[in-house]
Amino acid sequence: MMHKTLRTTSVGSFPKPESLQRMRVRYRRGDVSYEELKAAEREATERVIRLQERLGYDLLVHGEMERGDMVAYFAEHWQGFSESLPVRSYGNRYYRKPIVEGPVQGNPGLTVESWKLAQSFTQQPVKGMLTGPYTICDWSFNVHYPDRRALVLDLARVVHEEAKALEEAGAKFIQIDEPAISTRPEEIDLAIEAMGIVTEGLTAHTISHVCYGRFDLIYPALLDLPVTQLDLEAANGHFALLELLSRYPWPQDKELALGVVDVHSHRVESVDEVKAGIRRALELIPPERLYVDPDCGLKTRTWEEAEAKLTVIAEAVQQLRDEEGLS
Amino acid sequence: MKTCLVGSYPKIPAGSGPSVRTAIQRFEAGDISPRALHETYRDVTRRVLALAEAHAVDLTTDGQIRWNDLMDPLTRDVDNFRAAGLLRLFDNNFYYRHPVITGRLQFQGGTLAYWAREAVSLTSVPVMVALPGPYTVLALAEDQSYHHRDRLLADIVEVLRLEAESLVNTGVREVQWDEPGLATHSATPSLEEVASVYGDLTQNPPVPMSVALYWGSSSPWLRAFEGLTLNRLSVDVVHEPPLLRYFAEHGAPYPVGFGVLNAREVRLESVDELTRQLEPVIRRLGEDAVLVHPNSGLELLPPDRAEAKVALLGQLKVTLSGSPHSERGGN
Ligand SMILES: [Zn+2]
Repeated sequence: MMHKTLRTTSVGSFPKPESLQRMRVRYRRGDVSYEELKAAEREATERVIRLQERLGYDLLVHGEMERGDMVAYFAEHWQGFSESLPVRSYGNRYYRKPIVEGPVQGNPGLTVESWKLAQSFTQQPVKGMLTGPYTICDWSFNVHYPDRRALVLDLARVVHEEAKALEEAGAKFIQIDEPAISTRPEEIDLAIEAMGIVTEGLTAHTISHVCYGRFDLIYPALLDLPVTQLDLEAANGHFALLELLSRYPWPQDKELALGVVDVHSHRVESVDEVKAGIRRALELIPPERLYVDPDCGLKTRTWEEAEAKLTVIAEAVQQLRDEEGLS
Repeated sequence: MKTCLVGSYPKIPAGSGPSVRTAIQRFEAGDISPRALHETYRDVTRRVLALAEAHAVDLTTDGQIRWNDLMDPLTRDVDNFRAAGLLRLFDNNFYYRHPVITGRLQFQGGTLAYWAREAVSLTSVPVMVALPGPYTVLALAEDQSYHHRDRLLADIVEVLRLEAESLVNTGVREVQWDEPGLATHSATPSLEEVASVYGDLTQNPPVPMSVALYWGSSSPWLRAFEGLTLNRLSVDVVHEPPLLRYFAEHGAPYPVGFGVLNAREVRLESVDELTRQLEPVIRRLGEDAVLVHPNSGLELLPPDRAEAKVALLGQLKVTLSGSPHSERGGN
């Protein structure tokens, strides 16, 4: 059962257990079979679900055990992309930035199996997880399309087909991540137009996660993103986001999922600082439309750090529920 | 014309060879020693410099192989300027540790000069150092101490000037001030202020100085640099193709660097087309006053594609100057 107010969720990825990391390396070398890899992913997915259930989370994620990178995963399974050598994104982290070399074509149903698997482990709703067209474009090289707009809009049609497939499989919550949306304020209208194509005709609850942003540059335009719920990071910027949100009334028809722990820091936040952040958010958004979660995917943390951070959120929310009499 | 490499370069090999990425992983796992890690950085730096040499590049950075990001040397050499949380670097899918200013800036020095000496010792190609200019520092840092923009800016300029002075006698030929902060309009000072700030920074330079505008429009800032003694002003032709025609018509009071190769897209430019576009500006400014380079550092490309861009630069030079080594006689 989901709580009716102040619900808890996660953004997307979870750290891969070491056993799965080893299995992925061995699979790439051809040392283990596809079935063995899938079995390891299945075991890790169940672990991700059990952790969220144990902590009493309301809206679950499957943890993306089958994915390496949120853009490369789709590029690897769709047509029109080729893989590049790694490019550094920060520190010692690298990703394979896909190269669009031809017209993009999807593979509808690609994400359904991993969603179904995760959902089979729990009664709580599990989100279907997709990456948005603007971000896929922004995190790829483009050799084929004449301009970014042409690529983004073509990708939007492909992501829409995948969202439809998730919905038909029974997903009630579909998240379309757009972490790159704040990168170029002058393109926010393009990103909104593309999201309109993705979510058109969907009856599922739609969510979009946005991070790393100069939110100030795309606000309040961001509120026009055609999804039910916006998921924004706040802890990373010491909750300065809330000051920005307070300048405009939060729309009646939108929910907010607020990131309340920093996923790029080893430090585990205190329950009190998380509670203080949530209390500030409650001044702006009613509890029935407020979710809380980590700032971003947890894959860059160790399993222990991820568990510790999720536990702090769960405790903070439980205390607030008790103190504020929320159900 | 001359060619240069103006910033960062991939820290991993296109094929086999030393890799900073692997070395850090092995170092963190306890498999290699601090010395082995240190030597890997040097070996990778040597590879970047050798690539520049192989393609007859006239002036290059060391690829910033030891750097985490553009702010890194300053966070090491300046007190109260500390690397903090990750932020997106302008419109790239690349994230830098944004510096937090926690007290009055104090220059301590040491790291950059050490790195620069090392690079110079590894090559016969003239080496330059690219550092963030004052407006880019202002745009990327978080001030928790000054709460007074002008006082902070004045201290930034002085600290940057001290950093440049620390490079005297290292063998570094030029200091390039990178100003994506201006080109992207993340900072929007008046032209008068830019002229005055850069006047302070570049007067009687301890090492010849240049400015690089990239990842946005260069033209709004050109006037601010007109009265200064610059070794070079680099502009981003990828973002603003008309700049070639502008300089071909108007000339320039200093040598101009043209960022004609897109350092953020894998597509390879056509040598024929670039040759055709560059010829008028070379006629107008003269062979020695035209430099050609990627619009920014090449680390945002996969290593094989970065290498291809350097090779393209070499081809362009052959096509435009006849011999790949024709400009190297004076070095
Ligand atoms: Zn995120």
